[in-house]
Amino acid sequence: MLFADFYREMRFLSKQRYIVLFLSAVFALSAFAVWSGLHETKLQQATIERLLEKDTVDRENVLAGHGDYGSAAYYSFHVTYSEPSSLAFAAMGQRDTFPWKHRIRMLALEGQIYETDAENPELSLFGRFDFAFIVSVLLPIFVILLLHDLRSGEKEAGRYDLLVATAKKQHKLWLSRALVITTGLALAMLVPLLVGAAIMQAPLAKTAAMVLITLAHLLFWVVVTVIAGRMMLARGQNSPRIASALLGVWLLATVIVPVVSDTLINQSITGPNGGEVVLTQREAVNGAWDQPYEVTWDEFLKTHPEWADYTDMASSFDWKWYYGFQQAGDQHAAELSKAYRDTIVRKDVAAGKASLMSPAMLTQRLMLSLASTDISASLAYEQDVRDFHASLRQFYYPLLFKGGEFELEQLADMPLYRQRLSN
Amino acid sequence: MSEPVVVAESLNVRFADQCVLDDVSFTVNRGEVFALLGGNGAGKSTTLKTFLGTVAPTSGSASVLGHSVTSDSDFIRSKVAYLPESVMLYGHLTGMENIEYFLSLADVKRSASDIEAALKRVALQADAWHKKLADYSKGMRQKTAIALALLRSAPVLFLDEPTSGLDPSAIDEFNQLVTALSEAGSTVFMVTHDVYGACQVAHRIGLLDQGKIVGVFERSGSELIDTEQVHTAFAKRNA
Repeated sequence: MLFADFYREMRFLSKQRYIVLFLSAVFALSAFAVWSGLHETKLQQATIERLLEKDTVDRENVLAGHGDYGSAAYYSFHVTYSEPSSLAFAAMGQRDTFPWKHRIRMLALEGQIYETDAENPELSLFGRFDFAFIVSVLLPIFVILLLHDLRSGEKEAGRYDLLVATAKKQHKLWLSRALVITTGLALAMLVPLLVGAAIMQAPLAKTAAMVLITLAHLLFWVVVTVIAGRMMLARGQNSPRIASALLGVWLLATVIVPVVSDTLINQSITGPNGGEVVLTQREAVNGAWDQPYEVTWDEFLKTHPEWADYTDMASSFDWKWYYGFQQAGDQHAAELSKAYRDTIVRKDVAAGKASLMSPAMLTQRLMLSLASTDISASLAYEQDVRDFHASLRQFYYPLLFKGGEFELEQLADMPLYRQRLSN
Repeated sequence: MSEPVVVAESLNVRFADQCVLDDVSFTVNRGEVFALLGGNGAGKSTTLKTFLGTVAPTSGSASVLGHSVTSDSDFIRSKVAYLPESVMLYGHLTGMENIEYFLSLADVKRSASDIEAALKRVALQADAWHKKLADYSKGMRQKTAIALALLRSAPVLFLDEPTSGLDPSAIDEFNQLVTALSEAGSTVFMVTHDVYGACQVAHRIGLLDQGKIVGVFERSGSELIDTEQVHTAFAKRNA
């Protein structure tokens, strides 16, 4: 029976040009957002591929042109990267804010990690027009515009009493009409997403989860809009007032709560910033040139006591001393760096709690998590870089400390960066 | 023996501090045409909306075919055809499509030829049937809604100012139609401020003033209700 009502309302609403045009516009927006996400994903993949191609050639050239391990380590760059996940096209998230590629050397790491500028600061300020943005921010507006006058519009058009008096089951009329519009909106939003997911061969479970998040947010606003519309109509409010009230709720949930919570979080959870970490590490490294050798060795041997018997230097400059104070520089900034990362995590946890008050925030966070483009994914990539850098040191220290003739073959086992799978 | 179809018993409706209907009682029997006559703000539309279930009575009761408007609204909707004062159907649909849509809402199945027959009966010109309703005059929209009411074959008709805005010949056609429906056993409850029109078709007229029924006029045998008498009482109340 409900199917018959649904079919009737579908035929009826499909003849309303406004509805058809509106849903077409939503489809176009969603398709554009997905296309833009796919385009960005392909660009990032191509950039990584290009960097990887050059990376090997560049390193081979560098290594061939140097005759000692210290120079080889100094002049060799290593590309590290965080490949976009198969659903990143739908929610670029922190990939616009946190770096997803670094070319690092065996120098002090902290400066290399936090020296990066955002690729597009303006874009990261306003947020990308991706699928997650449409679902979390614009979708409620679509729902409000289409459904705020579900009943009041008929009242104002003078049809309400006739409709109510004619409909066999009054609630089925409104339910089926709201259901048709909701289904139309869901299809207009989700078809481009599903096409994008098919192109990227995204895992079925994650794609299904993305669809469910979209539907949950859609249904939340449908329920709010329909109930508020009904209650306000019963209190004699007209369509513009209902729309205004609902847009007020949207403004509160989608703009004011996130902005206020962000401000409160930033004020209540403070910590060092990346610039301070870079400066601290740089000052320690630069200062080492003027310090007695023992100061560097004391600091270095705190974490690498196994090289205590190999600190003798044949001249005033030795690469092992150079890398020793690079290591000491990182150690000097380690506490600050950890505090910086802890602050990011604490802010993220607080933002997660605040998102329970804002469906838009919650939706966006869930989508970023699914797409592996959230803070956790960014920190995981940073940890990958740290681990790789540590493995480089692990590889070079024996060659630098034990001395011996430079042999290119010794470098054949040099570690290569491999991203942990995030798809 | 008369069979009560539309019954109001001590019906009261209040909006905030305003008393809109004050102890209104009347009975409309099967096959009867009952007109509730009153000026603006008398409470006519509120009475009608109470029977349609869109206004809840504060106290008292209202029933149709023995079913309460507050507890059996679904049943009542299935037995009542309603003709609003200003017929505003869907402008983006044709007359035929509008009727099909509303019949489908009422879960009433009628063939295209049934619909065409109803449109002919209400004298809506055939070339308008497939035109968008946005291009219809008020009279044409009214005829479309009357055709819809006929097609529903409902035993009870609620009419809200049914002849408002119609030209004299359309009013005559409409009055004949209402009379024919009544003779066929339909019960008609109409609210109007048109004294002449009410006297032409109604078996009884209730005069409503400030939410109270202040007078009842009825036919004597086959004689129509005396327009002069009703007009005098109406004018006195609305001076």
